[in-house]
Amino acid sequence: MEATPAPAIEVRNLTKTYREANALDSVSLSLEANRIYGLLGRNGAGKTTLMSILSGQGFPTGGQVLIHGKDPYENDGTLARICFIRESQRYPDDFNARQAFRAAALFFANWDQELAERLIEDFALPTKRRIKKLSRGQLSAVGVIIGMAARAEITVFDEPYLGLDAVARQIFYDRLVEDYSLHPRTIVLSSHLIDEIANLLEHVVVIDKGRIILDEDADSLRGSAFAVTGNQEKVAAFIEGRRVLHRDSLGSLASVTIQARLGATERAMAAELGLEISPVPLQQLVVRTTMAAQTEPRGDHYQEALK
Amino acid sequence: MGAIDDSRPIFIQIAELVESEIVAGTMAEETQVPSTNEFAAYYRINPATAAKGVNLLVERGILYKKRGIGMFVATGARDQLLGKRRSAFAAQYIQPLAREARKLGIDAETLASMVRQSLAADAAEGSVR
Amino acid sequence: MNRVVKVARMQLINKWSFLGIPMVILVASTLMTFAIWALLPASAREGTLYSGSGQAVMWYFLALGIQSLTFTFPFSQAMSVSRRTFYLGTLGLFATIAMGYAILYYLLGLVEKATGGWGFNGQLFALGWIAGNNAAIQILFYFVAMVLLFMIGFWAATVYMRWKATGLLIAGIGFAVVLLGLVALATLNDAWPQVGAWFAAMQVLGLSIVLGGLCVLLAGGSYLTLRRATT
Repeated sequence: MEATPAPAIEVRNLTKTYREANALDSVSLSLEANRIYGLLGRNGAGKTTLMSILSGQGFPTGGQVLIHGKDPYENDGTLARICFIRESQRYPDDFNARQAFRAAALFFANWDQELAERLIEDFALPTKRRIKKLSRGQLSAVGVIIGMAARAEITVFDEPYLGLDAVARQIFYDRLVEDYSLHPRTIVLSSHLIDEIANLLEHVVVIDKGRIILDEDADSLRGSAFAVTGNQEKVAAFIEGRRVLHRDSLGSLASVTIQARLGATERAMAAELGLEISPVPLQQLVVRTTMAAQTEPRGDHYQEALK
Repeated sequence: MGAIDDSRPIFIQIAELVESEIVAGTMAEETQVPSTNEFAAYYRINPATAAKGVNLLVERGILYKKRGIGMFVATGARDQLLGKRRSAFAAQYIQPLAREARKLGIDAETLASMVRQSLAADAAEGSVR
Repeated sequence: MNRVVKVARMQLINKWSFLGIPMVILVASTLMTFAIWALLPASAREGTLYSGSGQAVMWYFLALGIQSLTFTFPFSQAMSVSRRTFYLGTLGLFATIAMGYAILYYLLGLVEKATGGWGFNGQLFALGWIAGNNAAIQILFYFVAMVLLFMIGFWAATVYMRWKATGLLIAGIGFAVVLLGLVALATLNDAWPQVGAWFAAMQVLGLSIVLGGLCVLLAGGSYLTLRRATT
């Protein structure tokens, strides 16, 4: 019997405590190889902490991370399969972008110089200026180019778009899809610009206050929540017994976001009641879920934190 | 081609977009359809999702795979899709139409004549084009 | 290619830090010393002329120790290099360079003697108390001295990276306490004559070994500090 291959990334009960608070609170995840994952959450939710532990750069307080079945910490063989450029990545003060790329070419076995050159042109990156003197957007471009051209088996992008304008961001997304099509790999994309990347993601992980509150295939999320709009009483009758993510009201008009899959009969019923059913974009869904998680009574973790 | 929205899984939307092209005749039977990667690049979606949509149509016999070449529209695909769309027509268009008509107090006779008028106008417009 | 060697190559991508600047410092400080000696009035030129400018490169190595960590370690993390590999590659590179300079110093010392102190009866490289020893001891001494300065810089930088200013402050205070403790110990036991005699008796070889021991301590301390450091 053939053993099932270990997931690309496996996280078990990962906890990270800083003096003030829990940055990660018993996080467990399993990410399969060659898929594009979105790691979504607010600033300070624990995204960067999680990614830096995944890549052997940070240390957990408790729990375990396995990359293709192995602990990445101080393990060069495993680390060589990962590329993680921080959002606040620091480069040697005396380096220009070209020198940073030369270093990356040393360490990443799949480095593609042609792709790097093409991206340099796409982003109009000045390669002879010291990285220290680049603008925020250009600095992000350096990280994006290293992350893309490294073609590491596991590529982690930490808010790669900071300072990039809309055009540059679109170039990044386009090139990412294009290159991923030809060279599939495991990509983790941390972001809070969810709308922009929603269609690229196969799987969505939402983290909030160090806890995973959503871990779902992007396609099964689509159509998993709806906004029901119409007369307040009729809306109330229709949503009876369903999980409410959000409520808005305007006079006798109500708009309620519910977590539910609606079949043909339910849609017909809503139409009968004169209610309007509209889909909820992924961005809204994540925002609503995050806010709902914050207001709903917490489970054991929260109780423990209170002690 | 249309655009992707958030109402339903993307792979289903991809499948439907291809179906619409076939029904409209822009993708003729026995011609090659774009590759998964081309779909992914065009709609800026995940290639795996695009592949899922295309595979759905393969399962339904709308598309078939030629090894090493790509995906092709099956013979009879258009008829099959037309049949399916016709049977869905009542639920998708007629019922909401009837419901709205009743809400507005439009009786059956009036509705029927409105439909007839609209059909005639559309046919005239089509002939001009 | 071995990743340790790649770390060394990464440190050399910008050739100035490890190769260019030390050479410039060495050449410039030597030429400047010669210029000063040449400008001295004849009355001041009697006897041997000493200069400490040969040390200039050594002090640069202290700065290089700091810089090779603070500049490059965070970047090496993004290059998916383990802390151990970064450490070995960086120290290995410096040890190689220090060995080169130690040999160069020895050779310059030979030239100095052969040319009658560069024609000025000067002492720049072949300092009396070192130059009396054989080649191996001379080279060992220069090597250990350079590595020690580099390690002090490197270790201080790792402490700063891991524990920030507080860590550096505590380490500094700790170091001062140990030093004061030793002084107090010697004073309380009226042991200063013995201490003086011990230092006097210690030859260049002995000193090299003591400093070498310190290097090993600092190297071990740096590694343990770096192992749990985050950028």
